[in-house]
Amino acid sequence: MTVPLLEITNLKTQFPTSRGLVKAVDGVSFSVAPGEVLGLVGESGSGKSITGFSVIGLLDEPGRIVEGSIKLEGRELVGLPSHELRKIRGKTVSMVFQDPMMTLNPVLSIGTQIRLALEAHEKVSASEARKRAIAALTQVRISDAEHKVDFFPHQFSGGMRQRVAIAIAILHGPKLIIADEPTTALDVSIQAEILVEMKELVAKLGTALIWISHDLATVSSIAQRVAVMQRGKIVEIGSTLDVLTRPQHGYTRGLLESLPSRAEPGQLLARGAGVVDATPPPRIVRTEKLPALGSPYLVIDAVSKRFEKKSGWLRALAVKAKLAEPVMVVQAVDAVSMTLKRGEVVGLVGESGSGKSTLGRMAAGIYVPTSGSVLLNGQAIMSQGKHPRKLTTRIQTIFQDPFSSLNGRMRIGDIIAEGPLAHNLIQKAEKDDYVKKWLSAVGLDPDFAGRYPHQFSGGQRQRVAIARALAMQPDVIVCDEPVASLDVSIQAQIINLLIRLRAELDLTLIFISHDLSVVRHLCDRVAIMYRGQIVEEGTAAEIYDNPRHDYTRRLLAAVPVLPVAAE
Amino acid sequence: MRHDSPVARFWADFSRSPVAVLAAIVVLVIILLALCAPLVTPQDPYDLANLVLRDARRAPGYVGTGGYSHWLGTDSQGRDLYSAIVYGLRISLQMGVIASGSAFAIGAVVGCAAAYIGGRFEAIVMRIVDLQLSFPAILLAFVIAAVLGQGKYQLILALVFAQYAYFVRTAHGAAAAERQKDYVEAALSIPLSSWHVVTRHILPNAMPPLIVVATVQVASAIALEATLSFLGVGLPPTEPSLGMLIANGFQYLLSGRYWISIYPGVALILFIVSLNLVGDQIRDQLNPRLQR
Repeated sequence: MTVPLLEITNLKTQFPTSRGLVKAVDGVSFSVAPGEVLGLVGESGSGKSITGFSVIGLLDEPGRIVEGSIKLEGRELVGLPSHELRKIRGKTVSMVFQDPMMTLNPVLSIGTQIRLALEAHEKVSASEARKRAIAALTQVRISDAEHKVDFFPHQFSGGMRQRVAIAIAILHGPKLIIADEPTTALDVSIQAEILVEMKELVAKLGTALIWISHDLATVSSIAQRVAVMQRGKIVEIGSTLDVLTRPQHGYTRGLLESLPSRAEPGQLLARGAGVVDATPPPRIVRTEKLPALGSPYLVIDAVSKRFEKKSGWLRALAVKAKLAEPVMVVQAVDAVSMTLKRGEVVGLVGESGSGKSTLGRMAAGIYVPTSGSVLLNGQAIMSQGKHPRKLTTRIQTIFQDPFSSLNGRMRIGDIIAEGPLAHNLIQKAEKDDYVKKWLSAVGLDPDFAGRYPHQFSGGQRQRVAIARALAMQPDVIVCDEPVASLDVSIQAQIINLLIRLRAELDLTLIFISHDLSVVRHLCDRVAIMYRGQIVEEGTAAEIYDNPRHDYTRRLLAAVPVLPVAAE
Repeated sequence: MRHDSPVARFWADFSRSPVAVLAAIVVLVIILLALCAPLVTPQDPYDLANLVLRDARRAPGYVGTGGYSHWLGTDSQGRDLYSAIVYGLRISLQMGVIASGSAFAIGAVVGCAAAYIGGRFEAIVMRIVDLQLSFPAILLAFVIAAVLGQGKYQLILALVFAQYAYFVRTAHGAAAAERQKDYVEAALSIPLSSWHVVTRHILPNAMPPLIVVATVQVASAIALEATLSFLGVGLPPTEPSLGMLIANGFQYLLSGRYWISIYPGVALILFIVSLNLVGDQIRDQLNPRLQR
């Protein structure tokens, strides 16, 4: 047994707030050996990030460590004055944050930022700093580092920025790196690259790493040991393989079972504890004849979307005189055609910038296509003319972020009833009754109708958003990353809700997601989008088991896979 | 217990600042005094028949022909200063609220419309506003008041003209930011009509910055009105506002009869400072950057 590099015993970090004391970290103990990679896993609010921040003394006000000890190479860090902590920070222990956009200063070049980081702990000449900066960038596999060292953060992609952040973190050869969700903001293929590089880097440098993440799969692909946190406590800690294949604690088991990648496609996922099953939603009285299930219903016909900033005549003149750059045109979606059969669930998969959300918004009648059209049951969903308007109410949308998609100034009863009232689906007198029916249909207490969105959690808000969409009695729902911002167990509940509602209401779904396992679980057919085009389309089984397009193969290979217990 | 409505939450936060609560109380007391002016004053300062020249320029505490004590003294025409101040506040408040209210309404509608419609309409409206904001408000109000002549309505028009641009600018900025948000797209995708989306979704959410501007602008409208009246282009002498009271006493300021100018001035400062303190607190609360 080696001497631990970091030893935390009974750490308690608390935030006294006006709404009472928040025990963010409540008696956490663990140790990290030199060169070891420890994964710290938990859902939002579990205290995993605060644990990381406690180590390097970067707690936000009013948070403070009230009890316990943090020993780094035998030296007690709790109670150390801030100038002493500053000597350790960045030198012996360094940090990589989630959002590389926020951690780099946009007005300083990369080289300058690396020089500043160097000067924080040692005296270096300008030319030496530059040399070291180039070496550091080369080490994190940034090609052409001599040239790129003078770039500014905005000239780098998200993945490159995170590499720069890592380069700064390893600058002084730290003994420990704390990485807080470092790949969460990145696309899967970039995430895969960073994971591999980080693993190699810490192995080469002999640095210990604490990898904080909500995603069990990424943690399992890098960490030797995993600690699972829940409500400020570590509920289980052990070797990665042990924890993931033979979980001892009920919470870990629940977390694993709620992952769609672990379940049979189309089956309901294990739900988190204390979740009530929703009552069946009210049947819709149909007045018109709809095509039979399985016949073509929603036709997306060669739609394109170009985003261009309108330029005035002055700018046009300047462009002509070569004084200004011409306005950038972004071809988000390029002549995409697709036919959805009634009752079908089609997954739209792609990385950020692939145009999947834009396509979804055109299918939902939010964006007007630059060319092409969307037809529902043979009728165009948008009106003609200079200012096209959406004509149909039979296509509704569920958005990614339930915190921004609900109007914070309206009671949720009004949010749900607003559309149906405006379209005379219901009368004022029926409103309360109607709202209550839909609230219980999505598994919420009907008495919540008088509350405001801020009184709900993310998962509950997403249920409200689903109720709002369903209350319009649609046949087609466009779901734009509806579970991307939710915790795993909440994600499982929402996926279950969608599976059930879809079957009970014969819904046709367009499910947009970057998460391949969720798509596989939910969708009959999958379309892979890349640079504004659909590169491959087929049944879920075809795509996942036998991908034909290069890009699809790369995408699938990039997904971190959880170890599965040998039966 | 979590607070229910946004209004209740707002008050819970507001009541945490003692200075702001005190200022709010001062504002409320002044508003109440102004509203009930005839009930709380011994004299109607507008009724010339009430005025006795023998009582003119008396020091505070003097018991005049009316048989009551003039707590704040009298002015050059024998008006009880306390009564004149309360009636003056009444006029100031009236002018401030009507002018700012009209400017608020115009600004909210025009600003939101510009943000929602966009294109050429937006460009033209916003450039006009920019142009106007590059002149000092007092100068604009002064010119308009001078051109239109003396009178209540002329003055209100001048004040509205001097102030509406602030509201348009603020409403436009707030509405343009709200326009991009998911809940607006959600409402449009239902689909709800543009009118419905603007009035029910964008406008209520663009309100907070407008309310902040409104509290500050009421105070500045009152100050502007006092300034114009002081300079003689504001209200007619038959309806003495605070600015005119100060102007009337100005000539006596150095001859020992300080009270004719000082007391209306103190009342004006107290009211404007309190209004601004309330506005500051509201701004702090509604500023998303300062929220925890």
